[in-house]
Formats: sequence, structure tokens, C-alpha cells
Amino acid sequence: MSASPEQVREEWGRFAAWRSQHRAAAASSWQKLVSRSMATSMVWLVVAISLALPSVLLLTLDNLRPLVPDLARPAQISVMLDRQLDLAQAESVQRQIMDWASVADVVLVGRDEALVTFGEQTGLSELLTSLDRNPLPHTLLILPSGPLADDALGHLIDDLSALPDVDSAMADNQWMARLDQILVAGERWGLALGGAMVMGAILALANTVYLAIAARREEILVVRLIGGSPGFIRRPFLYTGLYFGAGGGVLAGVMLWILTLWVAGPINVLFLLYDSPGQLHGPGWRYPLALIVLGAGLGWLASWTASARYFKRLEAH
Amino acid sequence: MIEFERVSRRFGDQDALRNLNLTLEKGEMAFLTGHSGAGKSTLLRLLLLLDRPSGGDIRVNGESTSNIRSRRVPRYRRRFGVVFQDHRLLFDRSVHDNVALPLLMAGFSPTDTARRVRAALDKVGLLSHERANPAVLSGGEQQRVGIARAVVARPEFLIADEPTGNLDPKLSTEIMALFEAFNQVGVTVLVATHDLPLISRRRHRIVTLQEGRLAGVGSQ
Repeated sequence: MSASPEQVREEWGRFAAWRSQHRAAAASSWQKLVSRSMATSMVWLVVAISLALPSVLLLTLDNLRPLVPDLARPAQISVMLDRQLDLAQAESVQRQIMDWASVADVVLVGRDEALVTFGEQTGLSELLTSLDRNPLPHTLLILPSGPLADDALGHLIDDLSALPDVDSAMADNQWMARLDQILVAGERWGLALGGAMVMGAILALANTVYLAIAARREEILVVRLIGGSPGFIRRPFLYTGLYFGAGGGVLAGVMLWILTLWVAGPINVLFLLYDSPGQLHGPGWRYPLALIVLGAGLGWLASWTASARYFKRLEAH
Repeated sequence: MIEFERVSRRFGDQDALRNLNLTLEKGEMAFLTGHSGAGKSTLLRLLLLLDRPSGGDIRVNGESTSNIRSRRVPRYRRRFGVVFQDHRLLFDRSVHDNVALPLLMAGFSPTDTARRVRAALDKVGLLSHERANPAVLSGGEQQRVGIARAVVARPEFLIADEPTGNLDPKLSTEIMALFEAFNQVGVTVLVATHDLPLISRRRHRIVTLQEGRLAGVGSQ
């Protein structure tokens, strides 16, 4: 069954009416916020702080993440051999370890080679040649076969350390694994903190909107009496919540930018000192956009629950 | 047409209305009177579905209101224009915006709204105060704004609850004349009042309630 022209007109009329009601609600709510600029700024500030704090944490982690090299690369184990061993003995230890199933490759770095490299890297060649004997031991660089879990790697290191000719063995990327775990923990901590702060923001928003609704009790009663639907009555308060939330999001984005610009100087110097090609990543446009959308969504949600709570109490009377 | 059939409303063990039968014909104007506590407010509240009867049925144009679900109530209420004793205007907006409120709810276009608001304000003699805040108007003027708001969407029924309660006799007479003018163009009017001297001079039915019952129906 197709709609008659009258029905079509009716539907269009309804849409236009709905739109003009929204426009009116949006405009009147905005005027009310602007007319109470002090109170409005306070709400914006509360929301902004609740949103900005966890964002700063997440942004920091975003910045640290590229500093952790690719962990998919198998860990390399450095084995310092006993200082008494000569090169031939060292080569025999190398062959012995090469046969192990858990080892993919073993590279021998002779003590003379190591001394030259060390001298070149540090610019201490002259000083080193003045030594009457080479203080470095022969070193084996061991590549495990495939990426190993932490305890398998531990076992391999134990086995290597247990060899009679081995002075010490250590995984050279253990600190990376640790940093990675710290970052994962930090991320969870950030999310938990963020969740708590967002909950706080919702409660603060809901309470503020609830008070705004309660302050307009007389208007609500009149509008209800002359035939305003719950949706019509609720609409201006939803916009109030939306403005509170979105405004807080904008302010949080601004805070994030200011903070980034403020710390960028020292942090970039730090990167430089650590020979890292990295630079501090700012919040870009993604963070502010996410904050505004999140804030607006929270505001809408908070005012929805607040108005539902208020109208339930009103109906009970 | 509004029909109350054996309508009663109990609050605890108190009867606010008892077995009330009352019919208001289409296009009729009637006064509802009685002492305070006689059931006038209860009757109006039941009619506007602000409350539901404990027994009996209220029919509007032959249709029972007991079947109207809460979701449909706002639309039902828009068939009534309501005038209150304390006019209940909103002081955070202009006279124009107060009067426009029912039109905004009903979804009239802005141009249509502006035209109807001006027509309604013209009818109550307040067109020149369109942009004013209602708070600066006198009591009588505020009540006339309330009446303009009640009639602007051209409702089938005009309900007034003590509309002249706060006004002096001269202003009260003006207000009553306004209701009669709307009645003459076909609106069904029900005015609750205890201002007997004011209504006894008029040729309309007077419905008197006493302790929740119909004590008498008569006209002069």
C-alpha cells in the first residue's frame, strides 16, 4: 500500500516540526548557558579535567611506545667466556653450543676484535692500546631458535651459565621486555583511571543537569499540563547536557595542546640526548576530536539519565 | 462533547467525587461551582488525565478516555486550552514566546506560529506587548496572556480553573467576556469558579458540586 499525498505531506510536516522543535530547544538551552557563564565555565572545567587527565597518560604512553624496539625479534644472549680461554678454545665452545637444539646461531667476537670496535665507538683507542693486556674476554653472541617465552629464555641462560668455560650469560633485551610490560601496565592503569574519571564526569554532569531541571520545575509542570510530550520537555535538557559535555571536551583538547607545547622543549632535548630520532607527538586532531565526541556523548547520556530520574519522581506525585 | 458517567474518585477513604453524571454539549459554555473541596479541581484533573477515576468513565466526543495510554496523553491534552488562576506564565521568555508554546509543541511552522500568536494576542488586546516580558504586565494582563496561550492552537475545549480568582470585578467581567467570545465561535467552555455574583448574571448553565456530588444544574 502506497502512502497518499496527504500522508506524505503529514510526514514532511512532522519532520519539519521535529526540526524546528530541536532548533528552538538548542537555541534556548544555549542562551541559558551563556547567561550563566560563570557556572557554565565551572562545569566545563570539571569535565575538561576529568577527560584531560587520562588523555595525558595515554598520550604519554603513545609517545613511549615507539621507543620499544620490535619485540618480535628473538632475544640475543651475550655470553662472556672465561678470560683464560684462548681463541681456539673459544671456537670449540662455539661449536659445542651450535649443536644445541634451542640455538639458531652463534657468533664469536674475539677479544681483539672487540677491543678495536670498543675503541672506535668510544674514541678511546689510544688509551686502550696503552694497556699492557686486553681486559675483554672472548664473547659469544647467541641467537635462540625462534622467539622464546621468558622462562624458556631463562632456562637457556641457566644452561649457558652452567658451562665450565662460561663466565656469565645474559639476555640483552630483557630491559625491553620489562619496559614493554611497564607500558602495558601503564596503559591499563591509564584506562582504569580514565574509566574512574569518566564516571566522575558523568556523575558531575548528571547532577548539574538534574539541578538545572529541578530549577525549571514550574516550566515543566506547565508544559506537561498543556500537552508537551516527555520528549519535548526533555529536549532542552539534553541539549544542556550536550553543551556541557562537548564544551568540556573542547577545553580538554585545548589543555592537552597547551601541555604538549609546554613540555615539548625539554622532552625533545631529552630525545636528542638519547640519540633517538623521535620527537614528541602532539595530540594532533584525533585526540581533541575524540575528547569532544566523548564529552558530548557523556553529556547527552548524563542528561538523559538525570531527566529520566527527575520525570519518574514527578510522575510519582 | 464531554460526558462524565458515574465517575468517582477516592483518596484513601475520602470520596472526592461520587457517582458524578455530567454532560457538556459541543459548543456549550458552563460554569462549575461549589465550595473549595467540593471536587471542582478533581473533576478538571480527571478531565485532563492528570489523574484517573476510581470508577466510571469520562468520554470526549463519544470516545472513552480510560483507553488512552500515557504515551497518547500529551496529544489528548492539546485538544484542551487551559487557563489557570495564577496564569502560570514563564517569566524567562517574552509574551510572544509564552503564547507560542502550544504551537511549538504541536509543530506549527514559524510563519504560521507568528501569525497565530499575533491573532491571539490581538484578540485579548495585548498585541502591543508582544515583545514584553510577562513579569512587567499587570495581573489582568498576565491572565489575558494566559488566555491567549490557551486559545492560540484553536483547541476544541477551553478549561479555566478560577481564572478570575486574583482579579477585581471589572477585570473579571472582561475576562468572562473573552471566554464568551471564544464560546461564540464554537469552542466548548468550562469555567470553574466560586465567583457567584459574576456568573449569575450570565445565561449559561451552572453546575454546582457539593461534597463530590452534583448538587444542582441550572441556568438563569
